[in-house]
Amino acid sequence: MPKAMLIDVSKCMGCRGCQVICKEWNDRPAEKTENKGSYENPPELSASTWNRVEFYEGYNEWTFRTHRCLHCTDASCVNVCPTGSMHHEVVEITGGGGEIEIVLNDQLWCIGCGYCAMACPFDAVHKEVGELLVGPDPELNPIYSVNGSAQKCIFCIDRVQNGYEPACAKTCPPGAIQFGERAELLASARDRVAYLKSNGFPEAYIYGETELGGLGQMYILTKRASELGLPDAPEVATSSVLMQWLSGLIAAGAVAAVPFWLLFRRRRRLEEEQSKVGGEQR
Amino acid sequence: MTWGPLIYLYLWLAGMAGGAFMAAFLVDRFTGGGNKPLLRLATYLGIPLAVIGVILLIFDLGHIQQFWHLMGRFYIVSPMSMGTWILLLWVGAAVVLVILWLAESYVSKETAASLKGITGLVSWAELVLSAFIMSYTGVLLATSNQPIWSDTWLLPALFVTSAVSTGVALLVLTSLVTERRYKKTVASGHILSRLAEADAILILMELGVLAFLAVWMGATASESLRLLIIGTLAAPFWVGVIAFALLIPLWLELANWGKELTATRSTLRMALASTTIVVLGGLVLRAVITIGGQL
Repeated sequence: MPKAMLIDVSKCMGCRGCQVICKEWNDRPAEKTENKGSYENPPELSASTWNRVEFYEGYNEWTFRTHRCLHCTDASCVNVCPTGSMHHEVVEITGGGGEIEIVLNDQLWCIGCGYCAMACPFDAVHKEVGELLVGPDPELNPIYSVNGSAQKCIFCIDRVQNGYEPACAKTCPPGAIQFGERAELLASARDRVAYLKSNGFPEAYIYGETELGGLGQMYILTKRASELGLPDAPEVATSSVLMQWLSGLIAAGAVAAVPFWLLFRRRRRLEEEQSKVGGEQR
Repeated sequence: MTWGPLIYLYLWLAGMAGGAFMAAFLVDRFTGGGNKPLLRLATYLGIPLAVIGVILLIFDLGHIQQFWHLMGRFYIVSPMSMGTWILLLWVGAAVVLVILWLAESYVSKETAASLKGITGLVSWAELVLSAFIMSYTGVLLATSNQPIWSDTWLLPALFVTSAVSTGVALLVLTSLVTERRYKKTVASGHILSRLAEADAILILMELGVLAFLAVWMGATASESLRLLIIGTLAAPFWVGVIAFALLIPLWLELANWGKELTATRSTLRMALASTTIVVLGGLVLRAVITIGGQL
């Protein structure tokens, strides 16, 4: 049975412990930042910030959601990657702890084209080039960051592989981030959603059970996804790739037919016919 | 911003290379093979454009020295992987064409005749590759999760019409300049006038695709449409794309419709102005769309 993560938005208190421990455990450097009139900081997820708590302020209420890579089964980043460096890695957990599927970018094979960043429906992948981003020696540990390669949450692969839970799940004080068997997490999520619905959150639901083939990191949301910075119906970037190619090729055909055939071929034929008719009359 | 100037310059150059070849090939075929110099001009211009485009693309990478990883495998669902191979094949076939044309004048008549068959075959292949290159520039952006780019299926169609339009303009502009400067005729005045007219039709088609795109976006992704027509992008879109890149050259080309481009000083001036604007306008369109999708 695969492992997964469940993030319960209703339990999150916005302490940003997960954000800090993510930086700590993964050796992510600090970023220069600025006050944008919100407690959110840094302003956006980036190549050096893989986990960031977003603040949604409502009337007399706060909702917090940790923003990170959700490790999709149908992953847009994996599909568009031209080199195959972004891939699904099935990791066996030591001591018979089962397995987990992680979306991982091979830092040494990545060319840093940034296509994954453009394709991600959750804006969770980033590519930046800067002095700050140089991680530990990549030859020794290629899961760590390489300057210029695409960066994102790596599901704490080093911890998970060795039977530990990811750093964010370990540190979360109210237990809003849980790590475990996917089926068990879903079962508890259903109970939790039923409880929330009858206790002031009628819109509560599970996000990620079926979205994009099932997400490796799922949410219990208390509001519609789009109110919390997530797409309501996320789509795989390559879902319409065939239609996109057809659109271009059909346009090329139309262009060949309309101005060129009309102006050059048809006009030439008409001119030939006219000169023939003219010749016969003579 | 992940994709900046190097990317939209590349999309513009690669599209123009494909567009110029397609236009020249069609003119040559539809006039019974009587416009080989135009086809050669398109190929000679296209090779450096495509190569410069590729160099720009490589410089945009986080790991320039690792660009060859693109050639490691072929992923049919990844437009960038497809595009890499299409570009390689396009440049390869163009170089083969140049070699064949040069060879024709050095070999015996019989061999030259048999070479012609091969040249024909390669140029047909290059036509198909040109259609793919032009589509690729749009598919690359459209296969994503960014607003404007992926909201509809029409971005490749828009980029293809624009690519052919800029390609035609480049051919007319270069032909006029070589004729004035170097007294070398690439295509007859008649053909150049028809090409300028074709460009006017292409601009109308482009406006049509844009209108369709706006309606589609309005129906499924009204946020993106708002961004484009009344939001942050409104000024560059209306002034840069609609007025500068499309309406001004369209007006100039319609004013010149049916006239010999070199007939008078004013027709020539209008032709030079309109073609230059169309070429630059193609860049403006790509810049606005590329930046717009990442706002």
